[in-house]
Amino acid sequence: MEGIEFQHVVKRFDTGVEALHDVSLSIAPGSLTFLTGHSGAGKSTFLKLLLGLQTPTRGRVLVNGVDIGRLRRRQLPHYRRHLGAVFQDDHLLPRRTVSANVAVPLQVAGMKAREAERRVRAALDAVELLDKAHLLPGHLSAGERQRVVIARAVANRPRLLLADEPTGNLDPALSESVMGLFDRFVEVGTTVIVATHEIDLVRTLGRRMVALDHGRVVDDTWASDAAGHV
Amino acid sequence: MSRKKRTPTRRPFEVWPSAPRPWGAFWRDHGRVLRDTLGYVTGRVGTTIWVWFMIGIALSLPAALHLVEMNLARAAGGWSGSSGISVYFVPKADPEHQQAVVERLQRTPGVEEVRVVTAAEALDEFRRMSGVAEALALVDDNPLPASARASVSSDADVDRLDRMVRELEGSEGVDDVLLERTWFQRLAAIREIVKRLAWALAGLLGIGTVLIASAAVRLAVEARLEELRILVLVGAGSRFVRRPFVYLGVVYGAGGGLIAAMLIAGLLSAVERPLVRLFASYGTDLELLGFDPMFIMVLLGSGVALGVLGAVFSSNQRVRRLV
Repeated sequence: MEGIEFQHVVKRFDTGVEALHDVSLSIAPGSLTFLTGHSGAGKSTFLKLLLGLQTPTRGRVLVNGVDIGRLRRRQLPHYRRHLGAVFQDDHLLPRRTVSANVAVPLQVAGMKAREAERRVRAALDAVELLDKAHLLPGHLSAGERQRVVIARAVANRPRLLLADEPTGNLDPALSESVMGLFDRFVEVGTTVIVATHEIDLVRTLGRRMVALDHGRVVDDTWASDAAGHV
Repeated sequence: MSRKKRTPTRRPFEVWPSAPRPWGAFWRDHGRVLRDTLGYVTGRVGTTIWVWFMIGIALSLPAALHLVEMNLARAAGGWSGSSGISVYFVPKADPEHQQAVVERLQRTPGVEEVRVVTAAEALDEFRRMSGVAEALALVDDNPLPASARASVSSDADVDRLDRMVRELEGSEGVDDVLLERTWFQRLAAIREIVKRLAWALAGLLGIGTVLIASAAVRLAVEARLEELRILVLVGAGSRFVRRPFVYLGVVYGAGGGLIAAMLIAGLLSAVERPLVRLFASYGTDLELLGFDPMFIMVLLGSGVALGVLGAVFSSNQRVRRLV
């Protein structure tokens, strides 16, 4: 099956904490889905399972029909090259310039310098940071660093974009602009999953919203209809 | 000529179809890693020189002992002509018996040259060397026996020679057999000690070199841990992640090998003159051999191999947990 499918997924850590409990849902390719819920609801675990950083204790996580939990160690890098990941703590390399940071996934993909440069410029242009390409991350504000991470995540034109609280460090106007950016990626066929607690912002976009609470799916609706479980 | 277009294909384990890595990606990556590695070592000159010296000292000790052993063997080879086995025949021994002894000696491994000294030749030699020629002129008969003298190579098996001596002592026409082995055994023992010491040190200090390179590379891995996490997140495989550290192992190992070569060159130049004088007092010309381009290449190669081993060892441990 094309797209993403969680089949009765359970994730239990060694400490006994159950981050996800029997989660089953499907996400269509080329769609934008918001995961909402309190801190500890299981949003990050959901994304980490999709990234292949964790494996489910029970159940299956299928992407285009392939069980991600069963991918071998040497197969995971190939899978991840088609993903873009954005986390709240920016994960930028402090000694590399903004453009060098954005170029990292392109280097991993073995892209030629000229093509990589073109993609970096396009990605930085999309997040309105082209004029800061030569700066080090330390010279940027928290919001700007977050946008650099988004540029890095989309530079390689991922098929699946995963974002964990991407607007946590941004002011409301910028948050709206970033969410709008995700909307644009969907238009070019990228599947986007965003974990966020900013339900008001999500509602304005009128997209699918899956609410998690203590590892269970408690609501799965279009954002504009949501009753507000957060 | 038009290049065939590389179309994306989806292999059974792949989630999405993808084109193969672009042309030249492998070499582009090696070029980038080389630049990064040189940047890393030049940015930490003190640490790099420290590691080079530690590896250099570890490599130079067994290498220097190897040179000593090699030159000892050569020097022993130069002296071997003056020593060996002497078989004294009974007076008027049958020539056939003498010939049988000569053939037995020639068949023995380690025996290099066999020469028969007749009774007359022995007397003549004695006259010349003893300084009692006038007294000997008063003796009517030649009291000296004929003999067979064999020179023995420095690496001959002493036990085998002993067995042959016992065999010859019981042979017909043979009066006495002398194996001049005191110096021979001492030299063989010294060579054996030096050789074993060199091997033991090579093993121990080789492990030491791997551990030094491993510790130095581990520091580099820890310093770049955040970068490695990001690389893994964006799809870098373990080889891609490990490559800079393998290069670092090469740089540390090659630098260590070079320092070892310089230390040995310094050591040789310091001891050459007194050694030449010592050997000259024994009537032997000494020329220290072995420190040639091939030796330096082997030293560098060993350094690189051990450096890479250490780098792979430590980066494997850390990267395995990331990927």
